[in-house]
Amino acid sequence: MSELDEFKATYFDECAELLGALEEEFTEIEAGDRSAERLNAVFRAIHSIKGGAGAFGFQRLVAFAHSFETLLDHVRNGEVELTDEVVALCIRSNDLVADFVSAARNGEDLPDDHGADELARFEALYGGEDGEPLEEFDDIEFEPVMVSFDGEPDGSGFDDFFANVPMNDEPSLSGKGITIRFRPHAALYQRANDPLLLLRELATLGDVSVAAEVDELPGLAQFEPFSSYCSWTISLAPKEGVGIEEVREVFEFVEGDCELAFSDEGPASPMAGALADDETLPDAAIGSIVAGTIADTSVADTGSGEAEDDSFDALSFADLAAAIEPAAKAAEPARPEPIETRSAMTPPSAGSTDNGADDKAHAAKPAGGQSIRVDLDKVDRVVNMVGELVIAQSMLTQQMDDHLKARYQELVRGVEVLAQTTRGLQDSVMAIRAQPVKTVFSRLPRLVRELATKTGKKMKLEMVGEQTEIDKTIIEQLSDPLTHMIRNSADHGLESPEKRVAAGKPDTGTITLSAEQAGGNIIIAVQDDGGGINRERVLSLARERGVVGPEQTLTDEQIDELIFAPGFSTADAVSDISGRGVGMDVVVSNIKKIGGSVHVKSWPGKGTRVQLRLPLTLAVLDVMLVKVGGAPYVIPLSSIVETMQTRRAEFGEAPSGRRMLRVRGEYLRVIDLACAFDMPTDTAENERFVVLCENDGRSHVALIVDDIIGQQQVVIKSLEENFQRIDGIAGGTILGDGSVALIVDVQGLNSIPDLRPVAA
Amino acid sequence: MDVAEQAFGNELDPGAQASGGTMQLIAFSIGEQVYAVEITTVREIRAWSGATPLPRTREFVRGVINLRGTIVPIFDLRARFGAGLTDATKNHVVIVMSVGEKWVGMLVDAVSDILTIPQNEIHAVPEGETMDTELLKGIVTHGEKMVGMIDLPAIVAGVKTDVS
Repeated sequence: MSELDEFKATYFDECAELLGALEEEFTEIEAGDRSAERLNAVFRAIHSIKGGAGAFGFQRLVAFAHSFETLLDHVRNGEVELTDEVVALCIRSNDLVADFVSAARNGEDLPDDHGADELARFEALYGGEDGEPLEEFDDIEFEPVMVSFDGEPDGSGFDDFFANVPMNDEPSLSGKGITIRFRPHAALYQRANDPLLLLRELATLGDVSVAAEVDELPGLAQFEPFSSYCSWTISLAPKEGVGIEEVREVFEFVEGDCELAFSDEGPASPMAGALADDETLPDAAIGSIVAGTIADTSVADTGSGEAEDDSFDALSFADLAAAIEPAAKAAEPARPEPIETRSAMTPPSAGSTDNGADDKAHAAKPAGGQSIRVDLDKVDRVVNMVGELVIAQSMLTQQMDDHLKARYQELVRGVEVLAQTTRGLQDSVMAIRAQPVKTVFSRLPRLVRELATKTGKKMKLEMVGEQTEIDKTIIEQLSDPLTHMIRNSADHGLESPEKRVAAGKPDTGTITLSAEQAGGNIIIAVQDDGGGINRERVLSLARERGVVGPEQTLTDEQIDELIFAPGFSTADAVSDISGRGVGMDVVVSNIKKIGGSVHVKSWPGKGTRVQLRLPLTLAVLDVMLVKVGGAPYVIPLSSIVETMQTRRAEFGEAPSGRRMLRVRGEYLRVIDLACAFDMPTDTAENERFVVLCENDGRSHVALIVDDIIGQQQVVIKSLEENFQRIDGIAGGTILGDGSVALIVDVQGLNSIPDLRPVAA
Repeated sequence: MDVAEQAFGNELDPGAQASGGTMQLIAFSIGEQVYAVEITTVREIRAWSGATPLPRTREFVRGVINLRGTIVPIFDLRARFGAGLTDATKNHVVIVMSVGEKWVGMLVDAVSDILTIPQNEIHAVPEGETMDTELLKGIVTHGEKMVGMIDLPAIVAGVKTDVS
């Protein structure tokens, strides 16, 4: 990947974050928060997206973002009133910006008229004439200032900056003059003196020509923010009556803190000759350099006094670079940020044009939590190793018998501390992978808006518990199921406004998306206040399609669950029924894949709730260790309902010889794992155990095992990596003694036909 | 064996081997018969220490073992040849090999030798019995005895029980 590609990738990452943040801001704005802070946040985000797009040459994104930004600017200034209509336009435009970003990312071309309506409305709103013309914007050349962060011992690190400074090669010295060499010490800056002020003062004494000497600037790696590197040679052609004494007075207050040399000679002096070789900077440029240096010093002084933070250095350079580059003003805020992000975003920021005031506001914003971007693979490696550590630790603990405990108390204490630390380490590592569900929730308001337009229904989305954290891998798997669930609620759950009013409900339907943690699980639910599932219709359709046999009678709950049946989600079913059906089996299969379950609850006339129950993490599984035919198996604790001894269980036998288990008046399918796995057992039938498991989230199934050993945490290992999938086995895991145990896939057992018990 | 030759053999790439070089094999025994696999596929040789049986697989899949945190299946080569399960003890040997991306273990009786065989001395397996032509990819001679070269991908294929 080239450097530019890396910058691009970082830019798109940033865009994704910014778009997510924008979605949030607009949610608040839509809800009535019209504060300046919100508008500024939106403005800044759009501006950042535009800036980066400009640097990479995404013209259409730049053009649209620019017009959008202009509108926002007018709104901010109060020139355009923020009516509901304008808010709606802004939200729509935000979606369009997202479109342009994704088109740029994927290298696609959107139709030419994409966003044309909105552009026209922007212009209508702000009158067009004082909106900065786009052509002018296009003409600005983006010249990214590359800042090298590599150590460069030869001190060439600043050359790039100074290459951009317009140089005046001809020192304009008049006939006779005073030459002053001025070299500030670091102490001068620490006493809050500003060389620029001194130079200005000198300028009042006559015509000055100033040359800055920057040769001493070290490479960036060696750069000390507290040091002073610049010195100046000033040639002064004094006015009438101004002598060397007046010049000395200018430097009166800094005398101890700098090297000063005066010469009263004319331009023909050796000093002046040397000067001619020097690069002479125009006043303004010097001002910039000095301002940059001063800014560094003062920022550092207000801090703890020690600028050891790497990001601080990086920042100073970026700002210094921006300050020197006369065509560009620093647009990025002066807040500490990870170097990686910072360095990547420097080129775009150098291209900004008109937002000095905004920058200040941004800079004043308090620094948020610091973050770094880390390759997920690296985190996963740590997660895996911690998993192994947990196993090793539990193995140690198991080895501690009473004899050892009595004899080596220190050892016991050590192992206990190890156990605690390991658990803490595991939690911390898992927390690294955890992300708030907000990252996936934030895409959904847009979906609801689009659905509202398509269906012509009025609806709003409410979100609860967006901060709930869950493993990143699970989050990634949630997008599709949630989209399906929301679409279902909008399409089939909510009624038309007329129907709603007739039913005595508000005409706007509400879809509530909620997330909460419940024990070791995360519950995510999509609930609507629509008409509920039309059970009659669902049942008759299910019978038509052969999903339900003609003689079968189903409970209300069972009928509701039918919407998850695979045969139920065909296209004509969608248009036929007033219940639900779009791809709900996809939801179930996706959620099952990540170890979760799906439930539905419906209240006729009042609404429907589809609930996902998800594990907190995929890396570690809480299991019950059992034995079948002498081999160790583990059953995920999340699917176990209860366990009992076989001698206390009530079995019945069907004509085929198949056994049924009666539990609280229900008859359940019995799967003898010894039979299903063809593992002959010599455990007496009434010494065995029944493990009651949740199957498919709706029915229960009774597994029969030889023995129950206990509960523990295990790390899931793939069987397919070196072998292949086996029905009824979800994977393997390594036990404390180093042996392999197989993880029972309770749902997968369904595909294994029941066998008669192996004769014991 | 000549040390220099051995080193040389290790550095041969498959292309050079095909054009008349030598190849190195690890020879092992099942009962009295000697078989061999290419040394480049062998990852590790370890003593048998049991395996967790895998349900619903063919008889010759002895189960899985933990090889430094990954799960590796073990094939009983005697059973694969249809000669019944090996009565495995600590003295039996598992040869861990890579087959494509996957690592598998072969349970054999003992590892006997490292052979260096000229490429052009590999004989074809005579036709007549499908199992032989499928599971062997060639025959070489060592010490006046026949050594069957195992075709690993063929051994690993077809491991699930047929669900009738």
